[in-house]
Amino acid sequence: MSVAATFTGHGHAHDHIHPEPTGFVRKYLFSLDAKVIGIQYMLTGFLFFIISGLLAEVIRVQLLVPKGALLSNDAYNGVYSLHGSGMVWMVIIPLMTGGFGNYVMPLMIGARDVAFPWLNLIAFWMFPIAGVILFSSFLIGAPDAGWTEYPPISVQGPPGTTLWCVAIFLIGISSTLTGINFMVTIVKMRAPGMTFTRMPLFIWAQFATAALNMIATTALAAALLALFLERVFSIPFYDPARGGSPLLWQHMFWFYSHPAVYIMILPAFGIVSEIYPTFARKPIFGYKMIAFSSVAIALLGFMVWAHHMFTSGMAPWLQLPFMILTMVIAVPTGIKIFSWLATLWGGKIWFTSAMLFSLGFIATFTFGGVTGIFLSAVPVDLHEHGTYFVVAHIHYVLYGGSILGLFAGIYYWWPKMTGRMMNDRLGHWHFWLTFIAFNVTFMPMHWLGLLGMPRRVATYDPQFQFFNDVASIASFVLAGSTLLLIYNMLWSFRYGPKAGPNPWGARTLEWQISSPPPYYNFKTIPAVLKNPYNFGEPLPYIGLESMAGEDGHGPDPHAPVPVHA
Amino acid sequence: MAEASVPRRQGLGPWFWTVTSAMTVLNIAVGIFIVWFPIRILLPEAADPAGQIDDLFKFMSVVGNAIFTYVTGYLIYFSIVWRRRAADGPDAIGIQIHDNPKLETWWTVIPVILVAIIAVFSVRIWMELQNSLGDVLTMEAVGQQFKYEFRYPKLKESVYNEMHVPVGTPVTLHVTSIDVIHSFWVPEVRLKADMVPGLVQTLRFTPEVIGKYPIICTEFCGTNHSTMRATLYIDSQKDFGTWLAARFKEQGQGGGTIVLAQGVADDGRVLFGQKCSTCHSLGPFAQKIVGPGLGNLAHDPDHADLVTGKPPTPQNVEDILVNGYSGPIGVMPNRHANALSNSDISNLVAYLLSLHGK
Repeated sequence: MSVAATFTGHGHAHDHIHPEPTGFVRKYLFSLDAKVIGIQYMLTGFLFFIISGLLAEVIRVQLLVPKGALLSNDAYNGVYSLHGSGMVWMVIIPLMTGGFGNYVMPLMIGARDVAFPWLNLIAFWMFPIAGVILFSSFLIGAPDAGWTEYPPISVQGPPGTTLWCVAIFLIGISSTLTGINFMVTIVKMRAPGMTFTRMPLFIWAQFATAALNMIATTALAAALLALFLERVFSIPFYDPARGGSPLLWQHMFWFYSHPAVYIMILPAFGIVSEIYPTFARKPIFGYKMIAFSSVAIALLGFMVWAHHMFTSGMAPWLQLPFMILTMVIAVPTGIKIFSWLATLWGGKIWFTSAMLFSLGFIATFTFGGVTGIFLSAVPVDLHEHGTYFVVAHIHYVLYGGSILGLFAGIYYWWPKMTGRMMNDRLGHWHFWLTFIAFNVTFMPMHWLGLLGMPRRVATYDPQFQFFNDVASIASFVLAGSTLLLIYNMLWSFRYGPKAGPNPWGARTLEWQISSPPPYYNFKTIPAVLKNPYNFGEPLPYIGLESMAGEDGHGPDPHAPVPVHA
Repeated sequence: MAEASVPRRQGLGPWFWTVTSAMTVLNIAVGIFIVWFPIRILLPEAADPAGQIDDLFKFMSVVGNAIFTYVTGYLIYFSIVWRRRAADGPDAIGIQIHDNPKLETWWTVIPVILVAIIAVFSVRIWMELQNSLGDVLTMEAVGQQFKYEFRYPKLKESVYNEMHVPVGTPVTLHVTSIDVIHSFWVPEVRLKADMVPGLVQTLRFTPEVIGKYPIICTEFCGTNHSTMRATLYIDSQKDFGTWLAARFKEQGQGGGTIVLAQGVADDGRVLFGQKCSTCHSLGPFAQKIVGPGLGNLAHDPDHADLVTGKPPTPQNVEDILVNGYSGPIGVMPNRHANALSNSDISNLVAYLLSLHGK
């Protein structure tokens, strides 16, 4: 206990515990508690996930027949643009950082909250506002130029494009604030003894993501501001006839949006990196290399943006460094995948729903990574760019990567967040339906693109109908499979068995306190002796008062303190 | 704690080398199939770089297939062999190893080598795409909502939505746009370039297989983006000659003259950005880039006359655009070298004479 006693002095500033607010508004709507804000992010993000997902189904209904089954060209263009914008900015990014980051990160590093709770509250409320602005653009003419909104067409686009600018600008500010908040929290508020190399890998992933959010999002904000000014005040940033450059947007946009790909995938890497050791009952293999590769990916992510622009027009010699640096990213990504496989080797693998989604993630993400290498090679990209091959690739990394990672995270931390178990058998059904329907939906899109189907079209050539129909029908199953998740959540609230503090036998800090955790997370801040992944050893925490009381509010604070759970 | 219950290392596990060998055999078999498979039966290779691009695609497919097979193979195999069995208690744990520097070095070095090989192969094909092909047909494609305009150096008027090229003659195609970003893609040629307003990009290919191929827009360009198509005709030399002769004849009879009165200054402004602004500024005469500044063309106190010594009437400006200029000021190419159609010339004249300098 002497070690803990030494550390208590350092933790003094954080030891002041505010009383929990009791009114509904202060407790649930405008709470300063990162856990409540995290759940607010998740509920809002899940709502937008359903809206954006339904838009995807409208796309697939439209493409059932070559002439287009449902919508006019203009209506269709609005639907796919908001599907993409919604999924990227209103679903994946906020859920990865604001959702899981807020809920899990402070618990995992042994903190009572994030560094700036008020900033957190402000950042959250920008999110639903941005989402409402984005989707209300349907009322006045939705943006039609896809989630990338390349000018000059986006300058001429429907009135809703201006709302799109405002909404994305707002969510961009929200992301930047969250990035700053998380960066400070992770650097300054880790429990004593939790050195950088003792941080759980989810924290490393959030750390790299926070850096990307802080730095890259500013470029997007500048580009959006310019687009807004050109649309509203006719200031020619992008109009070539008046001295502007259409490619300026593309450089600024991708300088953000390529790192944004990693903002969307690094936290998923972090989630599965927690799940593999827990359910294989093994230390994560190659801890340092996985942590290092997250940082390497984040750094390299800033140097490859123009690989989205090989056909857009740039000095030809410039294509080479962008091509080669893009291929280099395959190396740290490969290191992660091999390390995860090695974590499974020699394990005692427990196939929970969270583990199944994490295992499926390896297969689909690897496939998306491989097609990414195809696209990085300039000569091959000259054929594949702007086709359904790219649509297939982006869905393999964003659905097969980020969304499967999010599902894994939901199943994993649900008992922690609600105190109740989900139905594991139903979770298995959810996984297999999702996994199979996902692959049948998106695999044929590779062939469609290679054989000549461009993206962002409301009608297509008759010879492509078969694969489009396969994709559409599978996508209906994919949408249906999500109902199983929703049902499972409702089931869990009503019938789910009590979870207890640590139903998975996991070793990170958040599992050592009650489920759901009390308002103040930790009664005393524990000291950390090692990284958390050594199964079969005592837990590496000292001074952790067990909060494992059945009422969820912790035991008598004067009771003796157990050293190991 | 029960130290004794921690399992010891026990080799790589049952069937490890059998599974590895099976995946290797599968990869070799699939690799051979990929290399053998003639992609052109699915999508013709109609012009020169298509075959090389397909070779690179095949090479990446072989490597990609191997990576994917090993990863998913081990994933499934480990999941089966190392699953928690009924006999294991809930406290059973896996083999507690943290790393293996030798293994980690290998799985860093091998991908680095693979990436290096892929990069070298890609750069080689890329370099061949940059090569100039010598004696060529040079022409232009201009995108606009929602059609393609093709300009041949010897034709006075543009041709819309059909592009004819003779088989065997290398083509250098300059692409640009007059409104928003479009794209020029012929899947059977495997090449694509975005058509960006204010920017000219170049595609080079040598047509090889006579036939009719779609030209497809792949950058969203507005309401009718989905149906923005044109047709590429790869003709025999003879058919191409016949087609071109027919266009000459048609244009000789019809609108073969330049009608200055029809010039639209706004269209001329866009054209100026594409065709003239590399050499001419919109400043005063003295503000040279290559040629003189044209901002005061009709109202310049220091240069009341044009470089030809004639007064700045529409006809005299037209004369320079049509015939070019060669003299003490420099050299400007004629309309054929600049690929200016009759309407282009009247639009440019209208625009240039509408300028009032700065």
